[in-house]
Amino acid sequence: MNGLWENVAKLLELCSAKVAGIFAGNAGLFSYLEMTAGLFTFLVRGIFPLLTAAVLFLCISSLLQNRKEDKIWGYLLAKDGSRIPLKHWENSLGRSKMSDIVIAFAFVSRSHAVLTFRNGVWHITDVGSKGGVEVNGAKVEKSDLVNYGDTISFAGLEMVLAPAEEAGPGRKETAPVSPSPLDKQNKSGLAFTLILLFQILGAVQICISLGEGLVPAVPVTFLIFILSECLFYITVCWWGRGSFDLELLLFFLCGLGLFNIASANPDFLYKQLVAIYLGIVAYTVIGAVIKDPERARKLKYALVATAVVLLALNLTIGETYFGAKRWVDLGFTTFQPSEFVKIAFVMAGTATLDRLLTTRNMTAFIIFAGVCIGALVLMRDFGTVVVFFGAFIVIAFMRSGDLRTIAFISSGAAIGALAVISFIPYIASRFAVWGKVWEYADTAGYQQTRTMIAAASGGLMGVGTGNGFLANVAAAETDLAFGMLCEEWGLLVALMIALVFVFFAIYAVFLAKGCRSSLYAIAACGAASMLLLQAALNILGPMDILPLTGITLPFVSRGGSSMVATWGLLALLKSAGNRFNAGGAGDMT
Amino acid sequence: MNLVSKRAAVLLFFSLLLLIGLSIFSIRYFHKASTWIQHPANKHLFENGKLLSQGAIYDRRGNILVQINDGSINFNEDKTVRTALMHVTGDLGNNVETGALVAFRDKLSGWNIVNGLYSLDKRTISGKEISLTLDAGLCALAYNKLGNRQGAVGVYNYKTGEILCLASSPSFDPLNPPDVKGNPGKYEGVYINRFLSSAYTPGSVFKLVTAAAAIDNIDDNENKTYLCEGNLQIGKDAVTCMSSHGEVTLEQALANSCNCAFARIAIELGKGKLQEYANRAGFNSSLAIDGIKTAVGKVDLAEAKEIDLAWAGIGQYTNTANPLNFMAFMGAIAHNGMRVAPQIIQGGEELLFINTPKKERILSPQTAERLKQMMRNNTLSVYGEGNFKGLELCAKSGTAQVGGEKKPHAWFAGFLDREDFPLAFVVVVENSGSGVKFAAPIAASVLQQAINY
Repeated sequence: MNGLWENVAKLLELCSAKVAGIFAGNAGLFSYLEMTAGLFTFLVRGIFPLLTAAVLFLCISSLLQNRKEDKIWGYLLAKDGSRIPLKHWENSLGRSKMSDIVIAFAFVSRSHAVLTFRNGVWHITDVGSKGGVEVNGAKVEKSDLVNYGDTISFAGLEMVLAPAEEAGPGRKETAPVSPSPLDKQNKSGLAFTLILLFQILGAVQICISLGEGLVPAVPVTFLIFILSECLFYITVCWWGRGSFDLELLLFFLCGLGLFNIASANPDFLYKQLVAIYLGIVAYTVIGAVIKDPERARKLKYALVATAVVLLALNLTIGETYFGAKRWVDLGFTTFQPSEFVKIAFVMAGTATLDRLLTTRNMTAFIIFAGVCIGALVLMRDFGTVVVFFGAFIVIAFMRSGDLRTIAFISSGAAIGALAVISFIPYIASRFAVWGKVWEYADTAGYQQTRTMIAAASGGLMGVGTGNGFLANVAAAETDLAFGMLCEEWGLLVALMIALVFVFFAIYAVFLAKGCRSSLYAIAACGAASMLLLQAALNILGPMDILPLTGITLPFVSRGGSSMVATWGLLALLKSAGNRFNAGGAGDMT
Repeated sequence: MNLVSKRAAVLLFFSLLLLIGLSIFSIRYFHKASTWIQHPANKHLFENGKLLSQGAIYDRRGNILVQINDGSINFNEDKTVRTALMHVTGDLGNNVETGALVAFRDKLSGWNIVNGLYSLDKRTISGKEISLTLDAGLCALAYNKLGNRQGAVGVYNYKTGEILCLASSPSFDPLNPPDVKGNPGKYEGVYINRFLSSAYTPGSVFKLVTAAAAIDNIDDNENKTYLCEGNLQIGKDAVTCMSSHGEVTLEQALANSCNCAFARIAIELGKGKLQEYANRAGFNSSLAIDGIKTAVGKVDLAEAKEIDLAWAGIGQYTNTANPLNFMAFMGAIAHNGMRVAPQIIQGGEELLFINTPKKERILSPQTAERLKQMMRNNTLSVYGEGNFKGLELCAKSGTAQVGGEKKPHAWFAGFLDREDFPLAFVVVVENSGSGVKFAAPIAASVLQQAINY
């Protein structure tokens, strides 16, 4: 804190000296401007961490409050007159305590049946029960339609399906405690305003910092970006559709990425801007397509097929940079197929509850995972291998709940990893310096040491965007993006950004609880785990806590393919939060 | 759904990993950022390996001790001051690890945890000016008084913790570094600041620790007497005094520095109590002086037999003491048993919002008061008030046997019992002889100068 007061004192001293200089007539307009610029930097440095904290708090608290009231989609009426609410689109029934509807009779199987609500109709699926399932006395072989009023018998235990409306007005079992929509709107509006303020101040700051090195692309990019955000905001408000706090968070992250690029490599600003727009398109399209679980299932197969083609393409005609064969050159632009495969990978792991409990077998997914990871190993993209494997663990566990198999696969992977570490020189050298980068400060530890030096130079509040030196290190705005945040925006802002990725994971788990279909729950968790691991590798690698892998910080790092793919992944997270009417009548909550 | 959503918790495990990683990073950052920025690759501070910052270090009276200007390092104009403070500033080769040029490099660069290396005026990365608590004149005097002998002198204010005087000999003029390797005898350990980074056998000054334990743990210790026949046989070995002191009280034993009496006291106290009081006095631990850690003085009685315990009680056996740490113990006796951590930078550590000197109670006020009276008695009855006029001196001498053919280390440690000059001090002269003869006169002149400013 003393440092702060010292700066205040220094500032006053400087100002008085300058003012005295102006009166003495030996200082021109230029030095006056300079003084104003210095004053500006001094003031905004303190504001940025506060704005960041406020934006994150508003968005995150609003998202976590966003829990929709427990909506009832139908009832099962038991013989004794009790009424069992159906709270999901997919409800498992059985003796097991983990079932959504627990039927504690010995003759009912642990996992007996699944009641699914799709497009306004209910289906019952027998998931391999011993006693069988009957609808109106007719045995259900695999899956059958159930109408309201029909009697379903679970190994002899009879229940009647009743619609939600009959239960009386409101259809809501508990009164919602969520805040009024107006209040929420205000909160989001405030968050949006603060983001704009952050970006406008940041844009002015970076123009000041770059000084003579300022190219027109910098102010133009920020102008376009900020205007686009306003347009987005006006559109959603006018549309009146649901909450958009998640999107605001993403805009905030993308904005920080633009600042990094403006500081390090302004030539790429327009490209990044286009990538953001493409990302938003991907986000919207994927979000719309997977609204319907049936359509999502079809999309899954299309994506898997595309992924296999893309990977094959990458391996045959891919370009090699920095020892990794990750890029495909399309003539006008290059792209990284492995980024798009991420979405296919997560989708491939999803399954609706009825299928998940019927087949219980993940062979197809394991094979696909093996193909993806194998291809990535051939491409030498080991950071992404770790990300895929992490997502695989999450998805496989959510599907099977089988720790033993996962431990088995993991140990196999560990052996494979060990082989890779010891036999591939490019990886071996990275592991060799891990933990002792300062001994190799100018060779294999170059990027790590520069990142740490730069981060330390930033202190808690940063040296101001555009004033860092890490920007001049190769790949700073991609692989070392977190280091740039530390140096230019300060440790406080950087750590808060890191916590956003932790939040995505927590949010996915939070959403999984009230999800319509297990498909969305798995997709959201798979996507969040990818983002989380990618962030972890990008943040902890250059800080020498993990071995360095050239990997991007989602939304912040420069990289077109990565940007589009991460927006796509976020669409999966977002869809887990949507809970509109199964009938598709547009009943939004 | 219940099933799948419960399993989703596996993702929390992954996020925990990232959180742990971030915590490790943050902890490292807070500990090491000040080191990281000093790398020559830091473009904020260096240009082509040349330091850009403009830091300076002053003494408490505003005398320049060292100044960094456009990458070059300038020292004080006076050769004696330069030499006397070489261990404080450091040399051009950065051989002195506790020297300010090395130890306070981060502070000199203008770095702090809040602002990093941000500075208002972009072109002149203004380094920081550090004011030390030291008085360069006093340091020079102390260094001159040590003369050609090796040793250390330290004086500090036991109420505020400010170190006023610090000297370590041998030293050299940092502007004309000598051939250290060619003169191993003359420049033995010349890069070590002996006051901060050495540990000597304490000899009789350690009797103060034994006495503190005795005051608290031996019944009726004010009147109890111990018989000294000039020789105390313990098993095959013996502890001896120069002459027989007869029946002595604790106070007399301390004044006469009676080995036989203190050997008996140490045995009466037992290993546990003596170890406890040694630890409380600051042995077996290091003090941090604005981030610079002192060497650790050791007292380890775990393996001690009866005769070893007797020797340990009079400051021999395997005991060692760090001069600064022992000086802080003197300060604690003077300050009602409260030890104020010594500091060398004015204003102290700037990380904290409020700067209060770090205080620690190591003795009860009664014990401290009793020790003070006994140490005052030492001066009045043995060292001679005439040699320390006006100082209100409370002290204890030591003549530490170091074995072999070498002469003993001379120690003199204590404090002034004066409200206006609350100063504690320590003087060690290596391989010279009696503490009263070789160390006490140095203390007398340095302290006289300290109160006459």
